[in-house]
Amino acid sequence: MSTTLDRRPGGSGRRWRLGLGYDERSAAILVFPVVAVLLVVAAYPILYSFWVSLHDIVLTRPLRRPFVGFDNYLRIFDDERFWLAVGRTTFYTVVTVAVTTILAVLVALLLNEAFPGQRILAALLLVPWATPSVVNGLMWKWIYDPTYGLLNALLVQLGLLERYRAWLGDPDLTLLLIANAAIWKQMPLAALLLIVTMKAIPDDLYRAAKVDGANVFQRFVHVTLPALRPGLMLVLVYETMISIRHFDLFLIMTQGGPGDASFTLSWLIYVETFRSLRFGTGAAMSYVLAMATFLLSWAVIRWLGKRL
Amino acid sequence: MTMSVKSPVPRRRVLAGLAAAPALLAGMSPRGAAAQAGGTVNFVGWSAAVDQVKAQISAFERATNLRVNYENFPWAQYRTALVTRLVGNAPIDVAWISDAWLPEFAEAGWLAEINDVPQLMRYNAEAAEYCTQSMIYGGKQYGLAYYGDHMSFMYNTEILQRAGISTPPTTWDEVVQQSLRIKQQGISEFPLLLSLAADTWLIEFVSALTFAFGGRFTDEQGNAVMADANRGAVRAARFMREAIHTHKIVSAGAVETPEINGLRAMGGGSHAFGIVPTYRIRALNDPSQASAAGKIRIALMPKGGPDGTNATCGWIRFYGMTPGAKQDRARRERAVKFVEFFGGRDTSGEYSMQRLLLTDVGLPTCAMPLAQDPVVQQFWQRWAGGGEVIAQQATLAKKKDVISPWFGEWVETSNQAWQSVCLGRAEPEAAMRTAAAKWTELKRAFR
Repeated sequence: MSTTLDRRPGGSGRRWRLGLGYDERSAAILVFPVVAVLLVVAAYPILYSFWVSLHDIVLTRPLRRPFVGFDNYLRIFDDERFWLAVGRTTFYTVVTVAVTTILAVLVALLLNEAFPGQRILAALLLVPWATPSVVNGLMWKWIYDPTYGLLNALLVQLGLLERYRAWLGDPDLTLLLIANAAIWKQMPLAALLLIVTMKAIPDDLYRAAKVDGANVFQRFVHVTLPALRPGLMLVLVYETMISIRHFDLFLIMTQGGPGDASFTLSWLIYVETFRSLRFGTGAAMSYVLAMATFLLSWAVIRWLGKRL
Repeated sequence: MTMSVKSPVPRRRVLAGLAAAPALLAGMSPRGAAAQAGGTVNFVGWSAAVDQVKAQISAFERATNLRVNYENFPWAQYRTALVTRLVGNAPIDVAWISDAWLPEFAEAGWLAEINDVPQLMRYNAEAAEYCTQSMIYGGKQYGLAYYGDHMSFMYNTEILQRAGISTPPTTWDEVVQQSLRIKQQGISEFPLLLSLAADTWLIEFVSALTFAFGGRFTDEQGNAVMADANRGAVRAARFMREAIHTHKIVSAGAVETPEINGLRAMGGGSHAFGIVPTYRIRALNDPSQASAAGKIRIALMPKGGPDGTNATCGWIRFYGMTPGAKQDRARRERAVKFVEFFGGRDTSGEYSMQRLLLTDVGLPTCAMPLAQDPVVQQFWQRWAGGGEVIAQQATLAKKKDVISPWFGEWVETSNQAWQSVCLGRAEPEAAMRTAAAKWTELKRAFR
């Protein structure tokens, strides 16, 4: 049987076997490197980490790595640290997403209006967003510092605080203070996404509402909010996915402490994987977190899609 | 009908070029070039005394005509970075190792014993017994000392003088009394400094305090006794909680104070007393680094409770050789030379690295002959007002009794337990029971 290819444009060659012409084959060959890279850097690690999660792998015991099936997953759910971390993560995510979204809507409403300095304010808004996460964490850690922190200095000078206090050392406040740092950084992007959506709302709708006698609040509820649905959905899903997996701020500001006050799921995974070097349970926890993020995002989309 | 446009550059030529690119890049990389060079020692350490290490590497390269590939990582990430490299069979010949990791590294087969290397074993005759013992696991020795240190009780002479206190405290009860006196006089709000952030230093701080209270974490068989009210760590934990919440002589912010910040606070003259690694005495009494310079002195660790002792927690860091280096004759020869040059005597017969680390950084040495060295004696006189107390305290230093193959996992739970006590969120007994339960669970799982 001949294997000679027909090189004519649109020629038959092996088309009868592969169903591909010269253009398709060229495209496939050119796309192949990208697909190969994606397979190597994305698909393979994802599948391999799942394989790891089915083994009892402790790096400091390299000679034993038994296959344990789903035991690592069962072990996680028996671990009280896991449920503690779930509680902390839920609280942190709810606070961060709710406050970020509310503030973003308010800022977007403000910047959607024309007033002197509006452009400068919009530009300044992007500064926190452009600040690298590590810098953001360090900056807020210094602001909260118990000996030279700006927050202490400000409150003492205003007479609202008698003496300097260890803000991050207070387990009742730790998560809220970290959430504040996260909100400061994330809110600008959320506001930007909402402004873009707001700009797309036709002025006719507002004029019609005014003619119907709607006040500012009614126009917001009946015109702005429904039109914001795509933007809000994007903000909620994005912020939820980011917040639930937040790690950098916890590493820089509290290392999961004080005690277990900021022991979130991401921190637990870090401790399990990179400090205890238990890669099997660490991988299993990562899968649980990924699934939780996926399900939560799906629920938000479904819920918001029906409500708005 | 489909239109097709042929490229002026043939497809096969483009693909051939793409395929050749990685090979070209590999040939251009520094690693590729290094691999071709011979006579190299691959040494990994954490990012400490980097200038001194580089200076000694230069001296080593001149003296031996060997090359050294030196990599360093921040201390906080070092263990993980080293483990991943060892698991990945990276070509490491020598690495700095903490005594806390020795059992797990030895069990994992990542360290080579040196009992059959007389060139290195002969240094045991000149090393402090405590240091040598800290490098032995399962009857085998795994390296030569980089440095050995212990936690010291330091005090600020000026603050004590202002408070009318003539001698430093000898018991923890006296520490409390003197601290309250200093606090009442408004000299210092929190006279006692304890750095209790949940970092790698925390176990050394709490071990020092536990030993001073006559307690232990484990018994001779390695079983957890930390929760035992009479011989465990409970008394030390209770003292810490009372110091923070009852007497308020320790800041509640101690739980977010890492060792380095504690050092700065002590150097800033904010505290009268502190538990600080001995090697920090140089920085604390250096006017270019601390405003309290010249006023910080060392006393023996105060005794705590009815069974108190002057004991403290000691530790050692050492040069460990990998099995990969030992198995290959040429690599072994180079690695042994390196370990001897850095952890023992150099080619001129001097403990040059040990002396350099002490005089430049303040790291105490395990090499006993250096105690008679005039340069070393001058060093202690200049920076600590003499070395007698330090030498005496060194003889009372105890190795951490929690060093085990599961130490890395257990210490996470332990740190949380101690912090919970300091935050007033857990009773000392309950917190120590949690730490003990984790210890027992991990010990059982290791069998």
